[in-house]
Amino acid sequence: MTTLTRQDINFGQVVADILCEFLEVAIHLILYVREVYPSGIFQKRKKYNVPVQMSCHPELNQYIQDTLHCVKPLIEKNDAEKVVVVIMDKEHHPVERFVFEISQPTLLSISSDTLLSHVEQLLRAFILKISVCDAVLNSNPPGCSFTVLVHTRDAATRNMEKVQVIKDFPWIVADEQEVHMQEPRLIPLKTMTSDIVKMQLYVEERAQKT
Amino acid sequence: GQAESDPSSASDKKVVLLPCKNPPNREHVCQWLEAKKQYECLQKWRRDTGLL
Repeated sequence: MTTLTRQDINFGQVVADILCEFLEVAIHLILYVREVYPSGIFQKRKKYNVPVQMSCHPELNQYIQDTLHCVKPLIEKNDAEKVVVVIMDKEHHPVERFVFEISQPTLLSISSDTLLSHVEQLLRAFILKISVCDAVLNSNPPGCSFTVLVHTRDAATRNMEKVQVIKDFPWIVADEQEVHMQEPRLIPLKTMTSDIVKMQLYVEERAQKT
Repeated sequence: GQAESDPSSASDKKVVLLPCKNPPNREHVCQWLEAKKQYECLQKWRRDTGLL
């Protein structure tokens, strides 16, 4: 057992790589399960040793990748408190919010030989829970769209400024109506505690969707 | 209050950000999917008739 700080072996970068790869799979799967896009654009792939549905629409895939490229520097510096996939109705009001709450320890006590397989096992459980979450959620109205919110601190936003310019993918401060939902139903999906990251996923669902 | 006059705490306040650009809309994606299906059908017909 070794104790490392976040500076050792650029640990923040490793965690950000792992989480962004996971979030990419999770976002594709949420869009498939919640029928934001037609099922025909999704293809079955294997991730974390389980089947998942990933989009093959180039523009959508690029959008998700650009989003996560901008979020990655925040996760790397432990400045992303929450990453939220919001599904919105035609009027752009949120109907569902998939909230990934992330926290990383300052000091790390890890056993490197078991670390990655253990984390992969934990992330697999998140993917499996997302793939069956439609059983506990009500149907969404037709014509929904989505966005991704990141909860961070004002001082941390400079960490993502450079990548925003490079990717030509600017970010703005969310409006109140995009962040909050009135009296949502809370559905906890999964929590994980590992040596490198703690994460919980829950869904906030609007009581009246139509 | 003290928080308002302290620039370090002001810069440390929580913010929620989102991409300025929107993802492709569903209609646009449906049209793309229809065009893809037609293209694949055409390619299959060309292969079957020996044109490819």
